[in-house]
Amino acid sequence: MGFLSPLLLALGLGAAVPLLIHLMRRRTGLRVDFPAVRYLARAEQEHSRRLKLRNLLLMLLRVLAVVCIAIAAAKPVSRALGAVVAAGHAPAAVAIVLDNSLSTSVIVGGQPVLDRLKAVAQEVTARAASGDRLWLVTADGRTQGGTPAALSAAIGAVEPLGGAGILPRAVANAASLARSSAVSDPVVAVVTDGQAAAWPGVTDVGGVRLVVYAPDLPAPANRAVTAVTPRPARWTPHGEIAATVGEHTGLVVGDSLSYRVTLGARTLARGTATVDASGTGAISVRAAPPERGWVAGTVELEPDELRGDDVRYFALWIGEPPVVVADTPVGAFLRSAVEALVANGRASAGPVRPPARSVAVVTADRLTDLPALITAPTDPVRLGAANRALERAGVPWRLGAPARGAAAVEGLTSADPGMAAAESASSSGPVTAVLRYPLQPQSTAIADTLARIGTAPWVVAGPGYVIIASPIDPTVTTWPLRAAFVPWVGDVLDQRLAGLSGSLGGRGTGVIDVAPGATLRRPSGAEELEAPDGSSRVLSGTTLEAPARPGVYFLRRAGARVGALVVNPEPSESDLTRIPGQSLAGHFKARAVRVEADQGRWVTAVFDAHADRPLAAFFIIVALALLVAESLVTRRRSGAAGAAAAAGVRRAA
Amino acid sequence: MGRIEVVARWVVDGFLTGLHRSPRKGFSVEFAEHRPYQPGDDLRYVDWRIAARADRWVVKQFEEETNLRALLVLDVSPSMVWRGTPTRLTKLAYAERLTAALALLLLRQRDAVGLVCFDERVRNALVPRARMTQWSRLVGVLERMREDEGAGARRSVAGDALLHAARLIRRPGLVVLVSDLLTDVDPVDRALRAIRAAGHDVVALHILDPAERDLTVTGDALFVDPESGDEVPAAVADVRDAYRVTVAEALAEWRTTFARAGGRYEIVMTDAPFGAPLRRAFAARQDTGH
Repeated sequence: MGFLSPLLLALGLGAAVPLLIHLMRRRTGLRVDFPAVRYLARAEQEHSRRLKLRNLLLMLLRVLAVVCIAIAAAKPVSRALGAVVAAGHAPAAVAIVLDNSLSTSVIVGGQPVLDRLKAVAQEVTARAASGDRLWLVTADGRTQGGTPAALSAAIGAVEPLGGAGILPRAVANAASLARSSAVSDPVVAVVTDGQAAAWPGVTDVGGVRLVVYAPDLPAPANRAVTAVTPRPARWTPHGEIAATVGEHTGLVVGDSLSYRVTLGARTLARGTATVDASGTGAISVRAAPPERGWVAGTVELEPDELRGDDVRYFALWIGEPPVVVADTPVGAFLRSAVEALVANGRASAGPVRPPARSVAVVTADRLTDLPALITAPTDPVRLGAANRALERAGVPWRLGAPARGAAAVEGLTSADPGMAAAESASSSGPVTAVLRYPLQPQSTAIADTLARIGTAPWVVAGPGYVIIASPIDPTVTTWPLRAAFVPWVGDVLDQRLAGLSGSLGGRGTGVIDVAPGATLRRPSGAEELEAPDGSSRVLSGTTLEAPARPGVYFLRRAGARVGALVVNPEPSESDLTRIPGQSLAGHFKARAVRVEADQGRWVTAVFDAHADRPLAAFFIIVALALLVAESLVTRRRSGAAGAAAAAGVRRAA
Repeated sequence: MGRIEVVARWVVDGFLTGLHRSPRKGFSVEFAEHRPYQPGDDLRYVDWRIAARADRWVVKQFEEETNLRALLVLDVSPSMVWRGTPTRLTKLAYAERLTAALALLLLRQRDAVGLVCFDERVRNALVPRARMTQWSRLVGVLERMREDEGAGARRSVAGDALLHAARLIRRPGLVVLVSDLLTDVDPVDRALRAIRAAGHDVVALHILDPAERDLTVTGDALFVDPESGDEVPAAVADVRDAYRVTVAEALAEWRTTFARAGGRYEIVMTDAPFGAPLRRAFAARQDTGH
């Protein structure tokens, strides 16, 4: 027999009270003159044996009653005795981790796996007693504590997530909760589908006992859209939707997967993708859609058992090619690049249609307005004029004193993967620059560094401007001689400087890909988040929690879309491969780990250490019985309580 | 006139007048005097000639009827100076009034009455006299004894007192013992046998306070005998039942002792009216013809 509150056993010292009373009862100081003492003495003498037995019985009853009360207060538990006289189990602290990641929404045997997991978790609440402490932690980290009934209702209301969640973190949180209780054997009860991708590495949960339920279910064949990439991110208005579809189990090389690409409210393309030996198929759709502004789209497969990954979302900005005006001093290479882009349709020579503005390609000393692609002046004498022009235009960067000497430039890549691959495959070596004006940020400078020399920025991009720290001249830098130069200029004009009214301020592409429920830094300039159903909520604070439901959520500023939050499940969530039970145990480090595939054994294991049943009620009943017996023995005494009329007896002090 | 006298007269006038008749009446007895008729007197002894002549009722008294010698033996030991509650008389106070009433009753019937007060020895003794002045002397003795009550711890020796009383009566008479009988039985038994052998009748009035019979004291205490100083610690609730049984046994033993010796025995509770026990004791004596 054990005790949950052993310190309260000290109350058992109270048993000494009736004992002391019994021993000291004859040492009373009250003296009473009583002529018939001879009768009293004779009565005591003749009945002394019976009186002694009675007093001893009373003392024993009282001592046992006090001891029973003390034991009851110490919350005794016992497996053997409990099986005879008590019901239920010792108070337990159980934190249930319910895996409701996207993978648990897969249909197996005509039923979502999550429903099966919820039913198993409900078993814990059904077996729990009112004295138990229970918590529910879902894969997204949400936590709820309460009574068994409340937890049962909470489990019933759990819906599958749109993504993987972070199950190891959920288990760690659950362990903290369980440990916070005063119960000696806290338990984390994990209910999971055992998806391998959900349990990377080893999760250390410390000194709690971990009981994992992972059903031995087959992993059904699953086809998924694992990636969608609009290229480029901002279309002017040409672009390509590149997607990857995968078949994780039941792979048959040559399988055809029917897909549909939507853009806005219309179908952009339909087709079939063929699965190759790696289990994936590629989708590529080129288009120059008529839509303008920020648009959402999807790549969809025909539904299978896991519906959540059969569709993947993307967002892109579509606009007219930027009108570009190249100033003569920028050099022949930049002017030629602009001409080539205009000829190719990626840029326009005009006219400008408001509210769009033309993009100037100028040297810093001739800068008058933004947006502009700015290069350093060729003549160092123009440095002062260049900095004054930058200040007038509101560019928070200044050009430093010229630095000479050949230095390698890093980070110059084209957004076009084909061009970037070709560039990296060439044997021309790194881009170098022999003259540069170190870029000096002002206090308000917020920009992306597109290229650097060592640790110093060489090309920076901010709202409405891109500055190159060197003049674009073959005598200064080898960059204009590279094949990737013109596409890079095109990317800069399209992605950084075109359509500023529809961007987050020139930083990045304006598209943020996140997993459901992920926490990210709130994009600067984003004031509202527009949901797929058109509703919007105001953004505040420095962080932003991504919605749990996959989709495209537009970032808005002043009522206009300026970017997009694209929420898609993690591609790994589509891989339904399960970890065998014993291997799953190796993914945890705890005081004890037990993995069960049988529901009954798992529930029993959860409460196994608490099979010691509480005996407090039993001991209270025994104590009451003892007190009743004591009152029966002393009932005559109680009946004589009203005989206080003897107050007139003369008493000697 | 003290309280003892008042109460005694009230008792006798109210309850006991005419109750007592001499057990030794007969045709050969010698006429002594007349006395006024009192309710309860036997009509056979009414002098009808005087009634016809003087229109007043008198009864004839015979010498033989007045020669009863009664000796009242009163226990004045410290155990008698006790009461279970302040609303009651102490056993001694009750006994004094009872003794005075009994003496008055006897004297009014021309019986000679004497008194012996005792505790560990005979404290006072009045030789039996039939004159009414004897009552005043007797009450005086009782008053003096009251002033001395409870002085010192003394055991009561009822046996010796009874023997002493018997010696004060030259002819067969009546010995009335008024005591709480918190004394040993054997000496009393021996004295009873001696008294009975001398031809005396014996009546015992066992004075009991209800608290002595029922042990109504509560709680745990050290009980002290005021006479012997013996101490008995006891938890009343534990011992009460046994005590009551013991008291009942003791009373039965006394009753048996007196019955075996040919005497009468009456328990007199101090919460009972004075007349009742006397009526019981002497009505029984009259019925039996002794």
